[in-house]
Amino acid sequence: MTPTARLRGRLRRRVDAWWQSRSPRSDSLLLTQRNVYILPTRAGMMFCFTLGVLLIASINYQLNLGYLLTFLLAGSGVVSMHMTHNTLRGLTLHLRPVGPVFAGDTARLEAVLSSPGSARYGVGLRLQDASASTLGYTNVPAGGQATLHLGYVPPQRGQHALPTLNAETRFPLGLFRAWAVWRPAMSQVVYPQPERPASALPATRLVAGGTVQSHASSSGEFEGIRGYRRGDPLKGIAWKQAAKAMASGGDLVSRDSSTQSQQQLWFDWQSCGIGGTEGRLSRLTAWIIEADRRDAAWGLSLPGCEIPIDQGEAHRRRALEALALWSP
Amino acid sequence: MKTRSFAWPGWAHLPRDSRDTLFLLVVIGWTVLPHLSHLPTWCTVLTGVVLLWRARLALVGAALPGRWVLLGVLVIATGLTFWSFRSLLGKEPGVTMAVALMALKTLELRARRDAFVVFFLGFFLILTQFLYSQSLLVAAAMLVSIWGLLTALVLAHMPAGSPSLRQAAALSGKTALLGAPLMALLFLLFPRVGPLWGVPQDGLSSTGLSNVMSMGTVAALAQDDSIALRIRFEGAPPAPQDVYFRGPVLGHFDGRDWTPLKPTFPPPLTPRADLRVEGAPVRYEMTLEPLRLAVIPMLEASPSGPVVEGVRVAQHDDLEWVAERPLYERIRFTGIAYPRFTHGPQQPVIGLQDYIDLPPGHNPRTLAWAAALRRDARYAQANGTTLAQVLLSHIRTGGYGYTLTPGLYGEQDPRSAIDEFWLDRRLGFCEHYAAAFVVVMRALGVPARVVTGYQGLDPTPVDGYRIVRQSYAHAWAEYWQADVGWVRADPTSAVAPDRVLRSRPLVTPPGLMAGALNGVNPQLLAGLRDGWEALNNRWNQWVLSYSRGSQLDLLQRLGFSAPGWEDLALLLVGAFSLLALAGAAWAWWERHHTDPWVRQLDRLRAALRRLGIGAADHDAPRTLAKRVRTQLSEAGEPLAVMLDRIDVQRYGRECTSRPDGRLTREFLALARRLKPMAADVSPTARNQ
Repeated sequence: MTPTARLRGRLRRRVDAWWQSRSPRSDSLLLTQRNVYILPTRAGMMFCFTLGVLLIASINYQLNLGYLLTFLLAGSGVVSMHMTHNTLRGLTLHLRPVGPVFAGDTARLEAVLSSPGSARYGVGLRLQDASASTLGYTNVPAGGQATLHLGYVPPQRGQHALPTLNAETRFPLGLFRAWAVWRPAMSQVVYPQPERPASALPATRLVAGGTVQSHASSSGEFEGIRGYRRGDPLKGIAWKQAAKAMASGGDLVSRDSSTQSQQQLWFDWQSCGIGGTEGRLSRLTAWIIEADRRDAAWGLSLPGCEIPIDQGEAHRRRALEALALWSP
Repeated sequence: MKTRSFAWPGWAHLPRDSRDTLFLLVVIGWTVLPHLSHLPTWCTVLTGVVLLWRARLALVGAALPGRWVLLGVLVIATGLTFWSFRSLLGKEPGVTMAVALMALKTLELRARRDAFVVFFLGFFLILTQFLYSQSLLVAAAMLVSIWGLLTALVLAHMPAGSPSLRQAAALSGKTALLGAPLMALLFLLFPRVGPLWGVPQDGLSSTGLSNVMSMGTVAALAQDDSIALRIRFEGAPPAPQDVYFRGPVLGHFDGRDWTPLKPTFPPPLTPRADLRVEGAPVRYEMTLEPLRLAVIPMLEASPSGPVVEGVRVAQHDDLEWVAERPLYERIRFTGIAYPRFTHGPQQPVIGLQDYIDLPPGHNPRTLAWAAALRRDARYAQANGTTLAQVLLSHIRTGGYGYTLTPGLYGEQDPRSAIDEFWLDRRLGFCEHYAAAFVVVMRALGVPARVVTGYQGLDPTPVDGYRIVRQSYAHAWAEYWQADVGWVRADPTSAVAPDRVLRSRPLVTPPGLMAGALNGVNPQLLAGLRDGWEALNNRWNQWVLSYSRGSQLDLLQRLGFSAPGWEDLALLLVGAFSLLALAGAAWAWWERHHTDPWVRQLDRLRAALRRLGIGAADHDAPRTLAKRVRTQLSEAGEPLAVMLDRIDVQRYGRECTSRPDGRLTREFLALARRLKPMAADVSPTARNQ
């Protein structure tokens, strides 16, 4: 590393640090004079050039109306600069909580833009690293809110800070571009990418005293049903039987999970039949998805981490998070 | 554009893209429309076809033509432009090309960049419109164009939803209106300088005198009542028949146009100005409106030229005073004129030969008429003065008539226009008489030339100034007489002495349309016309004649003793600095300005915390009142009541727009009088 490169690197870090201290991570951002930036666009430069041509023509032909035209356009241009800046200033950006996604899938961000004062037109939002063509635009009504959705594909599994977002506008004349840099504080949990096609679930283990049943989800038959209890998951409801029951004046009917708890699955890091960390994680993830689809109870065993057999949404999330964050 | 398969759905029901494109096309059409009168026919047709085609594409949502098609049409348009004007440079070809480009560019509206090109070309086209006319009507039409273009620009930057045209128009109108003060400031203070480089004469509007006289040009001026110059005399004004303002002298005739003579002989042999004055001079002060002409129409005969700052003025051999460049600004100067004078060589010089040149093959009957006159024994040896008198009396008695609408001469045979006038129809005005007089004099062998300028004054002075209008434009003749020099002869005065003596152009007979309107309601019509003329006059005075002189006047009125352009620049910079400061102050205020309700609540909370009552940022006044009641019991009741009132004021059904300052002060005063409670009473943390 040459001294100049080292110096440049240090300078870059200093600038980055300064920059980050200027825009601290936050899930809602009030745009003010301090964090809205504005520069002329290429069209703005072209406009300037046109004004120059118009002015020279007016001088050379001594056209007073030409002067008026030139100055009217110049005045409108200056006013448009303030309008562009005003479009962003005073706007509040707020990010709705983001859900976890699998690696390779598109994560959806939902930003709410609210304007306490006047209406704002043509406000766009995009990822800072994406091209300008991915801008999603909206109008924010006076004193109201507007929602913008942004999609992005997270790079890999793990817990990532959300990417930096840019809010920008060129309204009204497109001569200036005002933008703000928004670094959301929220982080995104990215589960490993499930193996595709999913390999077959591992064999179930015998549990003492229990009867092991091969559980074909396609059959749609269940060993037992019981009356609906508050808190039963929606997919635990036996819709066919419930429909029959309700037709005869009864209540909803849930599957009796007690019959399922007897067959147990263990997803084990050691015995998943594939090499490589990411490969194993992918396979485990695929298994979890599959087991969850079949409403099976399962447990997960990772080196240094074991999640006991259970089922349900919270269990699934816990396990997937463990996979997402697992590091040897 | 009407296709059988397509029914117009109305503006509001069009898809957004189509609507925006159609709107832009309409705006472009409106911008190009005033140009049609001076565009070649092919360009008009091309523009119309292209715009309609583009509109159809937008309506049916068809694909735009390929680049090669456009390139082909562009090449054809360029070729046609060259074919029409024999050049691609200059005003007319430039405007033609700009219109064609504008139309073609609409077929290429793909990216945002293309749209911007259309907008900027549009602004440029608007400017070129002002080369032809700067009248109030044109200004109004172009203002609509600017508004339309800005609206289209705003529409292009409202990508979300489907904003209505009205909404976009309101926004662009707002932008322009807010920009208007800046425009006014710049217009008033931007230092006016002369042209940066010479511009071809054809770039100028044709109002006023010019260096070319062809049949009909002065007639156009006779309709123009705008002011050419104002003059104030020290003492009595000269007699009306002596008030001639000398403009371009036209000594060369090509059979159609009269132009300034380029001598064929070297300078020592050409006739010199050689002005000889006698009698008492007339002193005057003149304010000359921007005539866009290098010639300065001085009162005849002025031995010294005007002093104009920054412009050299010289006298030519034909006695006209000419500035080094066309004058676009109003100038004011004092001068001395001698109504009695002679000029030119007293002895024959070879250069006078140029002044008896006539284009061969033209006007044979007039030449024959002159030859017949020469054959008359009385005039065989007559000198110029005698012949001139003969011609003038011929005009007076030969059945000639004065009219501003004589119709066209030389329609059948352009080479015999003078024949037709002099021998057949005998109806015309100054330029016909001057031209015919000079032709006949030359045919008789007497050197002669046409002089154009202004003749006469408004009969009544305004603020001590006599006004000379464009309608006083005049053409007369000069012939050369040995021992005297050049002698003025005004053949128009022979046929219409009123024209010269009373300084009023004879009233043009109204056209058919005007006649019909006059019949309907003359008073109303006259009132309307007066109002319109007054408006036009203000427009001319305040906007079109605003020049460097007016700027310096303005500065003087603002208290500058000897203003120059540096003061203008200084003032402009100062004004902009002030504006910028005001903007910065406003931004500062806005940043430090908090909502009055929030401020009030902050103060209430601070007072409560001093009393030991926990007050968090999210607590409403109502919550605070409840807490005050529980914690301070009896003593806190008045405070609690006030808090409840504040709560109603802010959130109640009849909420007020601003907090009640007196109530706040009362509350604070009361709270100050209460003793603070023990610190441990408050269950709500104060640092919440």
